[in-house]
Amino acid sequence: MQFSQNAVLSCQILAAHPLRTLLSIAGVVVGVAAVILMVAVGQGAEQRILDRIGRMGSNLITINAAPARLMIGRSRTVATVTTLTARDARALSEDCPHVVAAVPAVSKSLVVHWEGRNTTTTVVGMTADGFRVRSVPLASGRPFDADDDRLRKRVAVVGQTVRRNVFGTANPVGQDIRIGRVIFEVVGAARLRGTDATGMDQDDVVFVPLETAMRRLLNVPYIQTIYVEAESRRWMDRVERDVRGLLRERQRLTAGRPDTFTIQNQQTLIRAERETARAMTLLIASVAGIALLVGGVGIMAVMLMAVRERTREIGLRRALGARPRDIRVQFLVEAALLSGGGGVLGFGIGIGAAVAAARLGGWNASVSWTAAGLAIACSVTVGMVFGLYPALRASRLEPIQALKSD
Amino acid sequence: MIALESLTKHYTKGTVVTEALKGVSFRVERGEFVAIMGASGSGKTTLMNILGGLDTPTSGTYRLDGLDMARATDDELSGIRNRKIGFVFQQFYLLDRADALKNVMLPLIYADGSGDDAARAGQALAAVGLSARSHHHPAELSGGEQQRVAIARALVTDPVILLADEPTGNLDARNGLEVLAIFQRLHREGRTIVMITHDPAVADHARRLIVLKDGRIAGDSPVTHPRDAQAELGRTPGDAPGAGPR
Repeated sequence: MQFSQNAVLSCQILAAHPLRTLLSIAGVVVGVAAVILMVAVGQGAEQRILDRIGRMGSNLITINAAPARLMIGRSRTVATVTTLTARDARALSEDCPHVVAAVPAVSKSLVVHWEGRNTTTTVVGMTADGFRVRSVPLASGRPFDADDDRLRKRVAVVGQTVRRNVFGTANPVGQDIRIGRVIFEVVGAARLRGTDATGMDQDDVVFVPLETAMRRLLNVPYIQTIYVEAESRRWMDRVERDVRGLLRERQRLTAGRPDTFTIQNQQTLIRAERETARAMTLLIASVAGIALLVGGVGIMAVMLMAVRERTREIGLRRALGARPRDIRVQFLVEAALLSGGGGVLGFGIGIGAAVAAARLGGWNASVSWTAAGLAIACSVTVGMVFGLYPALRASRLEPIQALKSD
Repeated sequence: MIALESLTKHYTKGTVVTEALKGVSFRVERGEFVAIMGASGSGKTTLMNILGGLDTPTSGTYRLDGLDMARATDDELSGIRNRKIGFVFQQFYLLDRADALKNVMLPLIYADGSGDDAARAGQALAAVGLSARSHHHPAELSGGEQQRVAIARALVTDPVILLADEPTGNLDARNGLEVLAIFQRLHREGRTIVMITHDPAVADHARRLIVLKDGRIAGDSPVTHPRDAQAELGRTPGDAPGAGPR
């Protein structure tokens, strides 16, 4: 009751200087708004990356027929290695436990022609299981099957980017296209898949049966990639180990020699992304800390000013029976009100900015209530900490001197 | 009620020691209306501060309502100021942001008593004849009305003593008389009032006059013919009482 009366009076006093009050909390407002915005955008972006990885199949292990090299901070496979064959893929699916399917694949950048139009795209040759393993749903038509592959049929499934670039609004299914010098019949069109974790357009692609690609298009006896589907996420690490062991054995690599292939585990990729996100969060948190610190200094300056200005009021309150403790509490409450108000205002602005940014960027802004609560709690704490010194000064004023000051 | 015994107060500023009070002794009984008069530098402000529990004496004893004020801690003095003493200042010291009622309620914030604070403040305002102005802010009140709000604030905790420091010093003659008339009425109702002033005409409204000179008591006698502020108001030409100049 008495406490709330005083809080009301504090609010009135703060409201009497709206501009100064606003300026004093500006630091906290900006700090909290920035945190809310960055957390929301950061989480939205992280969700998007995880979605992309998930889109490529979350139980997926990718084996590339080249050793990995670190180039400009990224792991890349370089050079052409001719040691991986379709037989390796078959061996993986037959001999490794917890492997549902192993899809051998080749790919090459080739020009696709249709009625005078052409586009350069990635032509992927793979077995029919690839549609399931790599999560390639069809928008229209049919996928090719094992028979198409065995008979080296010249059938193709086009990605959405290719469909748009070559066919425009025409229905691609049933059309004849020319890839290099070979005519293919388009039997299906893949659904839009977006970009993958590395930003590659997954729709700029034409899928053809593996045998057709190897014998009719590329004329090579080796493959480049094997996509391995594990039973579940749980077995990812086990499968990766088994696959590595089996491939090393088949390629007769003695102990100590490096792999001639690269294994990419989707779970590892997700873990790496999570770690990046965590580092980002830490960065945001430290920026927020600095912003709040600056905000706290602002509040301290204004509170010191208020104590100076209201010295006589402090003297009066002391004369009327306020103990030093009461004065201290009053100014602490005012500082907390200031910074808490700043926190709430910053929260509102942050949410608004996050929603606007999400709309512009076309993703979902995920507002974390934990982060919001934390930001406001932090701002109140900052206000109390930086309000402590002014409050102490106020409470230590001698009542007589305080009353006589002007 | 009030018992002072050989009270001294020294101020040290650098190496210079100022003796503001050089051994002051007197008693004030319940229900008295005492004026303490003195020129500036006579020590009357120091005496007022000590009487009000805002300062502590260098030596001597001061008992208020049986409490040893010289040995009270800061927190204890705060409590005593809140419960036992009602201050009326020359400059009123009202909070500009709060209306009359809120200003009167201010001491109750620091009192641990229960009850309806607003009702008590309303009664105190009625006692000074300002019920109609309870939601006016100080800027909307005349000087006399502001001082009456301050008196209501001093009365709201029902203190044992009302301490007034030059209560008419910032008021014109008419408003000054109004304030004195309130004091005289409160005195008739049994309040104990100690009023500090430099003005003999003001002091003449009390029943007892203590004269302070150079930190010592130079005179202590009853006022033989106290002036009646209400009667003087009747003789003062101009508007009716209670409608002072704005």
